[in-house]
Amino acid sequence: MLALRVLASRLLSLFRKGRVEQDLDAEVRSHLQLLTEENIRRGLSPEEASRAARREFGGVEQTKESYRDQRGLPFFDALLQDLRFALRTLAKQPGFAVVAILTLALGIGATTAVFSVVDRILFRSLPYPNDDRLVSFGLLAPIERDEFMLGAGYVDFRKQPGPFEAITSMVPGTTDCDVTEQQPVRLNCGLVEQTFLPTLGVQPILGRNFTPEEDRPKAPKVALLSYGLWKSRFGGDPGVLSKTISLGNDTTQIVGVLPANFEMPTLRSADILLPQALDEEQQRRSAPGAVLRTFARLKPGITISQAVAALQPWFEQAVLGAPPQFRKEIHLSVRTLRDRQVRDVRLASWILLGSVFAVLLVACTNVANLLLSRATGRERELAVRAALGASRARLARQALTESVLLGLLGGVLGCGVALALMHLFVSVAPEGIPHLQQAGLDLRVAAFTFGVALISAVLFGVAPALHRPAPEMLTGKQAPLGTRRVLRQILVSAQIAMSLVLLTGAGLLLRSLWNLQNVPTGLEAERVLTETVSLGAYRYPTPAQQFTFFTELEGRLKSLPGVTSVAMSDTLPPAGAMRSTIFAAIEVAGRPPLAEGTGGMVGWRAVTPDYFSALTIPIIQGRGFRQEDRLPSENPIILSETLARALLPNENPIGKQLRLFRMEGPWRTVVGVAADVKNNGLAANSDPEFYLPWKNEHVIFLGSANMILRTRINSSAVSTWMREQTTALDPTLPVKIETMSERVSKLADRPRFNAVLLSMFAGMGVLLAAIGMYGVVGFLVAQRTREIGVRMALGATPPGILRMVLSDVARWTIAGAASGLIGAWFCARLLESLLFEVRAHDPLLLALALLLLLVAAFLAAWIPARRAMRVDPIVALRYE
Amino acid sequence: MTPPRGEVLQGTLDLIVLKTLEAMGPLHGYGIAQRIQQVSEDLLKLNQGTLYPALLRLEQRGWISSKWGVSDNNRKAKYYSLTRAGLKQLATEAESWERMAAVIARLLAGAQGA
Repeated sequence: MLALRVLASRLLSLFRKGRVEQDLDAEVRSHLQLLTEENIRRGLSPEEASRAARREFGGVEQTKESYRDQRGLPFFDALLQDLRFALRTLAKQPGFAVVAILTLALGIGATTAVFSVVDRILFRSLPYPNDDRLVSFGLLAPIERDEFMLGAGYVDFRKQPGPFEAITSMVPGTTDCDVTEQQPVRLNCGLVEQTFLPTLGVQPILGRNFTPEEDRPKAPKVALLSYGLWKSRFGGDPGVLSKTISLGNDTTQIVGVLPANFEMPTLRSADILLPQALDEEQQRRSAPGAVLRTFARLKPGITISQAVAALQPWFEQAVLGAPPQFRKEIHLSVRTLRDRQVRDVRLASWILLGSVFAVLLVACTNVANLLLSRATGRERELAVRAALGASRARLARQALTESVLLGLLGGVLGCGVALALMHLFVSVAPEGIPHLQQAGLDLRVAAFTFGVALISAVLFGVAPALHRPAPEMLTGKQAPLGTRRVLRQILVSAQIAMSLVLLTGAGLLLRSLWNLQNVPTGLEAERVLTETVSLGAYRYPTPAQQFTFFTELEGRLKSLPGVTSVAMSDTLPPAGAMRSTIFAAIEVAGRPPLAEGTGGMVGWRAVTPDYFSALTIPIIQGRGFRQEDRLPSENPIILSETLARALLPNENPIGKQLRLFRMEGPWRTVVGVAADVKNNGLAANSDPEFYLPWKNEHVIFLGSANMILRTRINSSAVSTWMREQTTALDPTLPVKIETMSERVSKLADRPRFNAVLLSMFAGMGVLLAAIGMYGVVGFLVAQRTREIGVRMALGATPPGILRMVLSDVARWTIAGAASGLIGAWFCARLLESLLFEVRAHDPLLLALALLLLLVAAFLAAWIPARRAMRVDPIVALRYE
Repeated sequence: MTPPRGEVLQGTLDLIVLKTLEAMGPLHGYGIAQRIQQVSEDLLKLNQGTLYPALLRLEQRGWISSKWGVSDNNRKAKYYSLTRAGLKQLATEAESWERMAAVIARLLAGAQGA
């Protein structure tokens, strides 16, 4: 309270400086007069009286000074004074200021941009209250990389949710649902249990959540709108709660609107939430029931491992219900929601953040170097100020004020750099980086930038600030180079070390990207166009209608000019999306079925006869499909080479009979064997695969299909025609046309993103290190001009001088490179899981990175070093 | 704000000023200085200038207040007077001073006895 009062009074006086200064003056004057008069009364002469008065009073100026310190905020006054001084100094050396601020802006900007991207992945809390207690839990099986539960088990489990405060479930993914009133559109609908929002801790901003009654089968239809849909379709109308929306054949009552920042825990975008309306009885009857995504809120104070332990008995029970082949491959899993969302992006995020901090450090080092060399020029000024009574702390404070000013200016400019870089990141970023679209410059990120600017200011400012000016500088002689020179060399060595680590990392990622892009996919992607069409369940409710549509589309596309073959399939290689089954579910005629284990996954596709020719997949044995195979009476099957070898080792597979999907359906005859094709993405191992003819058969999903066209001519013309043909059939359909090469290239998007970013940072690091090297060598040569002059006068040759300077450079470059190699050795191991077919300690890559860096360092040193060679001894000796 | 070499310590100067104002009523800086020298019989060597930062400090804390007035010999001078808060502060400071003095006295006596 008292302190506050004092502060207020001090602050107040800052604004009334003139008034209070006059007051003080008048008061002191009156005191002196009174003293003088008193002395005169004692019998002194007027002059003597006045002198005595001054003696008794003490130093007038000192009194005023200490009075002022007591009156105002001396810290603040000094700060203003320092700031003014710093601005003046910067303005006097605009070149220095521009270079330092730009360097900092680059470093701070890059750091800010990366932080804004990874913040949401690594640090920022999810948009749910107490998000650290939200988990995804359930079973993991080979087919499913996210936790799930089966309906029959779940309906019992939710009565006794064990370690959880609340649990909820939803239908995996989102479902297409069609709005069938005016302005028909296709939306993504999420089917969720009634407990979904309460478990996440989310409140609708308008209306209410579903009631338990509405979450039952055959209940009247209700819906919650996403904020986006509410704004776009209903214009943010608060009266929306009395409205309905027609979804498919149902008229659905709108009961609520979700908050703007709501997101599904699966990060899928959903326009509408509908009750999942799980039928308990039906789930039990059809055990194991439907696959459900399950989420829960842990009881307070319960850890993940405690939850796992508590769930163990339940899990052992649940696993007994699984088919015996599966049991060994099912696991229990409880993960935090964040872990589920970020998955493999986490490591890459840390690596990007780490490398951008390295760039920032290199930038700070550069500015520290600049400041040090400028301080050398100001040595004399500082010595004079020290001699006049400036304390060392005062001088240090002034130097730090200047650094902070530089840091803040760099930070402000850095925000601009960051915005530009964020734009770049978002445009080159692959799909599947969570929250990337939201990355931006908000308050939190700005606070981070400010913090980074201040910390960097201290980092680069502390060495110059702690320097003590030597008294002998007052004589105007050159400073002994001593410790400062050593410090600067250490700084350059550190820059070289950090740049080498960055370069090695970038090299590894680039090399692995190159490998990835040159993985043989087993198919010819050149001049192939693909078109993905997905039919709405509302307009095409039966497989027969879907079949008719696609057959007609196939016929239309075949008539296009310049097209050599047209094929159709339900899914496309080489990405991971395909139907799959387990190896043990395939029965070979005349052999007992496999009993234990799943034998791993087997993928399959339904394709038309031209599939193999359109993608140039060789048939290595037997034949491909024929048009007759599309008749309902025919049941041929084509195996991939790997599957044929695994199913029928050392036998001729042609003509063998197989039954699929656990003995359901007809016996199928193997008619051919096709070469292997990548089918799990580029990096992962491919699964064995088989092909069925694309036709109206109950195992084949006809709701969506891919048209595959091999063309002779320019693909953009053909893609326009494709679109025209499709719209002619049904103008409401969303059509997605891509070249096969684009699809393949997309698979390497994420590694490419990492590689591009890291290479950019490495490039910045090397560039900054080179600038640092250039500056230091130039500085050293300038400092040693006189010495070099003497050496030359004594007979040293210019090449000898060059050798002398460069050997100096070599010494600290090698020191930096050696520590960089050690750093790279350790850091490369962190990258290991991001690498594809490159060893983390690839000697060739390390050597290349080293070579590149050494060349850059020596080029940067060469230019100023040559100046040493041209020193004229006469001029140099007259230098002072 | 270094005190004049060990002669009057900062804390004691505050106490002295407060006590002076209590005893004498409103007084200008010069008057306070005179009074201190008179009472201490010139044992305390006070650089009179150092009084002003101390007066400002006391005023900032709200223990004294100041007002421009006219002195006996018709000079403009700033008069300082004790506030209610200052009176309270004087009591506490005096008490703590006495306690400290007593402790020191006892210590010194003890040292002599031993």
